[in-house]
Amino acid sequence: MIILVMNAGSSSLKYQLYNIESEAVLAVGRVERIGMEDSILTHEPTGGIEVNRVSEILDHNEAVRKVIDMLTHREHGVMSSISEINAVGHRVVHGGESFKQSTLVTGEVKQEIRRLFDLAPLHNPPAMMGITAVELNLPGVPQVVVFDTAFHQSMPKESFLYPIPMVLYRRHKIRRYGFHGTSHDYVSKQAAKVLGRPLEELKLVTCHIGNGASCAAIMEGKTLDTSMGLTPLEGLMMGTRSGDLDPAIVPFTMNKEELTLNEVNSMLNKHSGLLAISGISSDMREIVQAMSEGDSHAKLAFDMYTYRLRKYIGAYAAAMDGIDAIIFTAGVGENSWPVRKAVCEKLTFLGIEFDEERNMEKSKEARYITKDGSRTSVLVVPTNEELLIARDTFEIVKSS
Amino acid sequence: MTAVRKAGVVGAGTMGQGICEMLAFNGLEVYMVEQDEEKLNQSLGMIEQSLDKQMERWALTSAEKKLVMNRLNKAAELSELADCELVIETITEDLDRKRDIFTQLDQICAPDVILASNTSTLSLTELASVTAHPERVIGMHFVYPVSKTDLVEIVRGLKTSDETFNRTKHFVENIIHKNGVMVFESPGFVTTRLICLFINEAMHVLEEGVASVNDIDSAMRIGYSFQHGPFEMADRFGLDSVLAALERMFREYGELKYRPSFILKKMVRAGQLGAKSGAGFFNYDKDGVRV
Repeated sequence: MIILVMNAGSSSLKYQLYNIESEAVLAVGRVERIGMEDSILTHEPTGGIEVNRVSEILDHNEAVRKVIDMLTHREHGVMSSISEINAVGHRVVHGGESFKQSTLVTGEVKQEIRRLFDLAPLHNPPAMMGITAVELNLPGVPQVVVFDTAFHQSMPKESFLYPIPMVLYRRHKIRRYGFHGTSHDYVSKQAAKVLGRPLEELKLVTCHIGNGASCAAIMEGKTLDTSMGLTPLEGLMMGTRSGDLDPAIVPFTMNKEELTLNEVNSMLNKHSGLLAISGISSDMREIVQAMSEGDSHAKLAFDMYTYRLRKYIGAYAAAMDGIDAIIFTAGVGENSWPVRKAVCEKLTFLGIEFDEERNMEKSKEARYITKDGSRTSVLVVPTNEELLIARDTFEIVKSS
Repeated sequence: MTAVRKAGVVGAGTMGQGICEMLAFNGLEVYMVEQDEEKLNQSLGMIEQSLDKQMERWALTSAEKKLVMNRLNKAAELSELADCELVIETITEDLDRKRDIFTQLDQICAPDVILASNTSTLSLTELASVTAHPERVIGMHFVYPVSKTDLVEIVRGLKTSDETFNRTKHFVENIIHKNGVMVFESPGFVTTRLICLFINEAMHVLEEGVASVNDIDSAMRIGYSFQHGPFEMADRFGLDSVLAALERMFREYGELKYRPSFILKKMVRAGQLGAKSGAGFFNYDKDGVRV
């Protein structure tokens, strides 16, 4: 079965084409600057050369058409006809409380995704545009939506509710949803394989740290708690996002600096985190580089970042009454050995025997970075959200 | 419905700059026309300053600022607006000059291009009358400061078509994300008519010695949650603009309630025009901050 996986942003569209039985990627690509005169389509057939095309792509509908044209292109394509695509899987950021798992797209499902625009005004509308575009260009092909929030819907009330008036939850569904669910789901399953134990027996803390960062306490294969909340601003310190802070800082700052809602939102989402403290960059690689050159602000940013992550791991170990493994994934988690070292070295009380050599190894495979026999293991597990979307799509389409 | 991606703005004074910045911020390619190159550069400089100020307030990142600046294009002549899907005229409130611009735009732009005016008091019908396609002429009255005030009065002239109105409303609500209210042509529409009367009455209260400038401003600001009291508001609009609006409404309606207060006339004659001249009812520094 051939499955097309799509991830639509407000002015971008990323895609991967899978042969799902062999889980082989046939092609990957992306369209950027949708809505402009110089939109760029980048396409790479597996084993082939990368193709770049600049043209005017006005909307997602046209973007999907161009992607399909490229996939069936005489020279750069990977199939002879679009009828070879059996199903399409979409990443949707917010599934609210309605979607606890991936689901087949129907009229009702679309209506519900639209209803959730309120909760994710920047992310859900483009996903909807992607779905409509596929309907127009690949009529009759079943579509599946996979939600970033769905995996975390297993959280109990005590972890998803905020201690504020209950009426706010009833009226506006203000609660913790958590994000990166597909990734936390994928790496926890992979970790169980590496550990050679059934997922249902394990207590895991998964740390998805990239540009956005969240960690999750995963017990018996389900999320018990996760650090992101109603929006992806809560929790860990990130590249440009503050993460946790005293909520009173918001009205206090608005008053003192005479800030509007938009300004304070932008301050916390785009002007905080590593960037604000280091004054250099939101990119951990540049922070580490500057730190090695003796920059004290970069060092402070790094220390705050790793300290806050360590606190979360400790808290989740307590929340689960124990811990079997910590998993690092995503851009920073998979690649930044200094971050992993700074976090893990001071977690000896959890029974972690950190292995510096293993930590420094570069690899695309899931691997241990603790010594053999360490009571608690630490793993690096490369994430693969697209593959999980493709798998979910396959399962749902097969059984429907 | 034709999407709007390129917009022309004729006149880049205070309101024009605000409109250009807001359009570019919302992802449109903007073509700006001014009397000469020097004025255009000056306007671009002012927009850049305004964006810098927003960066200081964390409202914008430097990448976002760059994107906005890149979408602003200088157009030396009106004819360069030929492939814009919407043109907004926002020169000073001078009927003859506006008529001249609409006559030219009517010839330059295809008949389905919306021609909008940001006029606050002049007659849309009269402006439209010089064009061959009066049905595509409409008013889009923005409120200062444009980037922060989410209101546009969409003004229908006598011959403005439903299609033009609907396309404009769609543009206002879905492309630039503001609230559009429909008003029919009438001097001052809703906002200018009501706010100028409010300001004028505050000056009468002052003349009668009922309360001081500070106390009148505090009373209205705190009592009724206005962002600024009537005097600071007038200073920020420009006292000359307030006077001009009142005089036009006085002429059009012929009612005494629109007669401008003597204090206002006196201050304008003395060149105390408010924030832009550094002094009005209050004093301001060069960034327009009250001192």
